[in-house]
Amino acid sequence: MENRPLEYDYTVAKMFMLTTVLLGIVGMLVGVILAWELAFPAVNTFLGQGAAEYTNFSRLRPLHTDAVIFGFTLSGVFSTWYYVGQRVLKVSMAESKFLMILGKTHFWLYLVGVVAVVVSLLMGVTTSKEYAEFEWPIDIAIVIVWVLWGVSIFGLIGMRREKSLYISVWYYIATFLGIAMLYVFNNMEIPTYFASGGIGAWWHSVSAYAGTNDALVQWWYGHNAVAFGFTVPIVAMIYYFLPKESGQAVFSYKLSLLSFWGLMFVYLWAGGHHLLFSTVPDWMQTMGSVFSIVLILPSWGSAINMLLTMKGEWQQVASSPLIKFMVLASTFYMFSTLEGPIQAIKSVNAIAHFTDWIVGHVHDGVLGWVAFMIMASLFHMAPRVFKREIYSKSLMNTQFWIQTLGVVLYFTSMWIAGITQGMMWRAHDEFGNLAYSFIDTVTVLHPYYTIRAVGGTLYLIGMFLFAWNMYKTMTAGRRVEENELQNASPMAA
Amino acid sequence: MNKLTLAGIITAVVMLGATWLSVGGSKGGLNGDIVNMLAVAGAVALVIITVFVVIKYVRQMQDDTASGKLADENWDGIGEYKNELPAGWAFMLLGTMIWAMWYMLSGYPVNAYSQIGEYNEDSAAHAAKFEAKYASIEGDELVEMGESVFLAECKVCHGLSADGIDGKAADLNHRISKESVMHVIMNGANNMKTDFPGGMPMGLNYSFADEAELNKLVDYVVAGLPADDKEGAQLFEKGTCNSCHGANGEGMAYAGPKINSFDVATVSSVLKDGKKGAIGTMPAFSRLNAKQIEAVSAYIASLSK
Amino acid sequence: MFHWLEKHPFFFAVGVFVTIAFAGLIEIVPNFAQASQPVIGTKPYTTLELAGRHVYIKNSCNACHSQLVRPFKAETDRYGDYSLSGEYAFDRPFLWGSKRTGPDLLRVGNYRTTDWHENHMKDPASVVPGSIMPAYTWLYTNEADIDTAYAEQVTVKNVFSVPYNTPLPMKDGSKETVALADTLEGAQASALEEAKLVVADMKSKDIQDAVAAGKIPEIVALIAYMNSLK
Ligand code: HEC
Ligand code: HEC
Ligand code: HEC
Ligand code: HEM
Ligand code: HEM
Ligand SMILES: [Ca+2]
Ligand SMILES: [Ca+2]
Ligand SMILES: [Cu+2]
Repeated sequence: MENRPLEYDYTVAKMFMLTTVLLGIVGMLVGVILAWELAFPAVNTFLGQGAAEYTNFSRLRPLHTDAVIFGFTLSGVFSTWYYVGQRVLKVSMAESKFLMILGKTHFWLYLVGVVAVVVSLLMGVTTSKEYAEFEWPIDIAIVIVWVLWGVSIFGLIGMRREKSLYISVWYYIATFLGIAMLYVFNNMEIPTYFASGGIGAWWHSVSAYAGTNDALVQWWYGHNAVAFGFTVPIVAMIYYFLPKESGQAVFSYKLSLLSFWGLMFVYLWAGGHHLLFSTVPDWMQTMGSVFSIVLILPSWGSAINMLLTMKGEWQQVASSPLIKFMVLASTFYMFSTLEGPIQAIKSVNAIAHFTDWIVGHVHDGVLGWVAFMIMASLFHMAPRVFKREIYSKSLMNTQFWIQTLGVVLYFTSMWIAGITQGMMWRAHDEFGNLAYSFIDTVTVLHPYYTIRAVGGTLYLIGMFLFAWNMYKTMTAGRRVEENELQNASPMAA
Repeated sequence: MNKLTLAGIITAVVMLGATWLSVGGSKGGLNGDIVNMLAVAGAVALVIITVFVVIKYVRQMQDDTASGKLADENWDGIGEYKNELPAGWAFMLLGTMIWAMWYMLSGYPVNAYSQIGEYNEDSAAHAAKFEAKYASIEGDELVEMGESVFLAECKVCHGLSADGIDGKAADLNHRISKESVMHVIMNGANNMKTDFPGGMPMGLNYSFADEAELNKLVDYVVAGLPADDKEGAQLFEKGTCNSCHGANGEGMAYAGPKINSFDVATVSSVLKDGKKGAIGTMPAFSRLNAKQIEAVSAYIASLSK
Repeated sequence: MFHWLEKHPFFFAVGVFVTIAFAGLIEIVPNFAQASQPVIGTKPYTTLELAGRHVYIKNSCNACHSQLVRPFKAETDRYGDYSLSGEYAFDRPFLWGSKRTGPDLLRVGNYRTTDWHENHMKDPASVVPGSIMPAYTWLYTNEADIDTAYAEQVTVKNVFSVPYNTPLPMKDGSKETVALADTLEGAQASALEEAKLVVADMKSKDIQDAVAAGKIPEIVALIAYMNSLK
């Protein structure tokens, strides 16, 4: 047993790969629709007046955010966990019937949750809290899905042959714990149907917190949902897939260590930067700003660690589109984790908050970092789980450049739009009156909204190329042997 | 210069140039506003730092080689070097930690700042600056100031040209429409409670012999009570309108507003209390200051001249 | 020590959890009691207003509209007084939003009116040329869910002691009471009375007929809610 290579079982990983691709396309398609709706409001009725209730910007917006976060990103996290976990712990899922059944239940229940979410958001069943829109029945389903994943993580860890945990596993554990804690507290809500003795809609609930308190809990959650959804598990991915694909050893254990514990410690304190100039006490706001600045370092630590892992390996970056995705991802990670802290400075936030500059910040993070990293991970996994060569390297290259152009158009246009709008809101004229009515500050954004929509469309086209390439890999790629799969992924021209 | 550095500089310049064009094109631009300046400084820092840091690491990928002692462990073929922390990073981490403690505890004591205090200072400074200026604003300049208030506050309801957007609000290019006059005569009105506490009684239409006579009176009022319309003037007396609005509709203090054209006093009265009439409801505008009300009133008065 | 933790997953997990958990305690808990005190002039929502708030949430108006006036001169000029914590004491959930694609609405009741909303919500660009806000035509036919609003009122009254049927101090020194019916039928009837006051200022014959027939279209509830935002 010890000397024979393990047969890893990728059944569950494959299932989640499928939802990653599928929900990625759905979520980003909705994002593209949103972008065109803001540029050309007539798009709000693209399925006709009768369907406008379900296709207008505001009904679709939560569907976009939840589809890309809880659909695309989470599927990516689960899928990579079921792949990476086995390999760095050196155990196969096949060794435990219990874990196999658990993993499959995890997937199917997750899928039920996804369907429930889509239906309920389209119907307008939402609690309005950003990234926590779901009503209590779905909350319960999510908690169960989460617990199943937790059991699966710790079950696999319990069986491990590798005594000490690899860096990626630290980050997966943190993802599990962080989201568990945050989600439960932010979703404390009371079902009104039961509390009123059976009146009204059974799914409706009311938040356990009111006003400023509700805001505090929500942004403690919201900020850290970004941390434990868009940062921590994605860092887990890059720590495995970049060294593995490039065949390079991680630059520095010490840097990994300090970055990890630094991130864990600092992230939680920075949530106050979503509430600057609100009604929460000044000291909490200041604390949010100050810790945001400190946060640059633990964030950059991981990015630098990865870039230095590629020290002297420029020829790999130049020749492999897969490595390109990952190197650009860590660059965008650095960019957004510098941009965030700058936006957390009070005077900057006075301009940036409520504007498109924030949306720009969000998307250079999610498009340039999160989505790039997830797609790169799936590209690396595909030859291993399907035992086939990646169908087309040139398609991958094309996808890389189209999507890079897409991200650049997205964040540059939103950056300009946000700063412009923020300044116009503040402007007084020579008489001391407001210089602009609100609508003046909306109509100036039209060109930028259009550019963003074009950028988003390019990115979506890239997603289709990605899906096509994955599909062809699965069905038509050349079959490969285990020994071709050590490091650099085999890909056909 | 190296190609990479050049590309970096071009990126930074294009980003900042485009932002500058967009912002500079808006009235005000940086506007001497410290907040605007800090935001732009932040944006500049963001681009420049990112570009140069990335260049630094790309250089290392191009020119350096990996080295160091490997740790004993290895996971799925992935090794780890036991390299020291990059000095710059470690130094900055320590530095920001110390700075944070200092800032929170003593450097800029957390409780010394109050956002409301800052707001009060800003508002006072704004008021001081413009109150001195207000005294000298009159005549055409007052109308111009009024237009700026109108465009920021009123155009959402009254439209860009103050025409009321197809009857959705009052057309301010004329004192009043036929429907509105008819409406107050039949229903009375008591909106401008501050300046005309008694209001206008309902049912004044019964003072007139028939529909035709009533129509004549209304036409007379809508036309702005022209001096050469003797018949209209008679009817105006017959309906006792003059007892409140004055013989030629010039208005009388406490009794009735000026109805032959808009003047500052009438519009100010509307802004004070709002107005519900035949067309709809006009909100009160208490958040405008006295000079702004005077100015926007002057602007509206100027429209129907 | 860290290397030891990496070999002992249970303690590793405990370590991570403790590291991430206590920041929340320190940041959130100290302010909890204080922030929930209502300021003078704050009233709980009536049944119709609350149903309107649900319409607002159902359509995610908060995706584009904030309800938080920051203490800047330009914002108080545009929207009115800056926000105070106690004004939100009855807001469950809070609706501050995080994006202003459209203007802030915290005090929209002060400077927009029923008939304007009636036109605007049906076709925003018809009153505000260049508006990118969607037209909300279905609000004019869908019926508001009064029952759920009542269920929520009962819940917050019982569970969080929200002061319905209690005289509350107003800014002008007077006292006002927001009544809460004892039965669902009572609540439906009082919501209908309130709706009649709103439609009196509306132009659409269809809406007026609907209310006369005892139905409450969503738009009526939504306008009642927006008018209450002051
Ligand atoms: C008892 C005093 C009184 C009498 C008599 C009176 N008015 Fe008025 N009128 C007022 C007051 C007060 C207002 C302001 C109403 C308000 O505050 O909304 C007013 C308003 C008006 C307006 C302006 C409505 C608007 O929409 O701006 C018109 C036009 C008008 N009156 C015409 C007449 C005519 C014509 C008559 C005679 C048939 C008449 N009034 C008789 C007191 C009077
Ligand atoms: C929410 C919409 C709205 C806004 C904002 C608004 N108005 Fe009006 N206004 C109306 C409506 C509706 C009427 C017609 C009332 C009626 O007579 O039925 C009106 C009427 C008026 C009148 C005529 C009153 C009369 O006596 O006939 C004046 C003057 C006026 N508005 C000035 C202004 C000014 C100045 C501003 C901005 C500072 C402003 N309005 C903002 C809706 C609005
Ligand atoms: C796509 C973004 C978007 C959505 C979604 C949206 N709005 Fe708006 N809203 C705007 C914009 C932009 C404006 C400014 C232009 C205008 O007045 O139409 C606006 C203006 C308004 C105003 C006028 C406020 C003022 O001060 O002039 C109100 C009231 C309003 N919206 C209510 C709503 C309600 C209620 C909903 C949900 C049912 C909603 N909006 C959904 C974008 C949006
Ligand atoms: C050092 C790290 C970071 C800091 C300090 C930071 C800071 C900020 C700040 C100040 C805001 C704006 C709050 C506002 O004014 O509305 C924000 C918003 C946001 N950031 Fe970051 N950011 C960081 C990294 C990231 C990363 C890496 C991502 C994603 C990959 C991300 C995703 C988001 C999202 C989704 C929002 C929008 C939240 C909302 O809905 O309002 N952030 N961040
Ligand atoms: C094709 C690509 C995409 C396009 C065109 C797109 C477009 C949009 C648009 C138009 C909005 C609304 C902005 C507003 O309200 O003004 C939005 C919000 C958001 N999107 Fe995307 N999106 C895309 C991909 C993604 C991906 C991949 C993710 C995450 C993995 C993501 C996460 C978010 C988040 C978190 C928000 C909320 C931001 C906030 O509230 O500040 N998007 N997106
Ligand atoms: Ca929930
Ligand atoms: Ca947001
Ligand atoms: Cu944050």
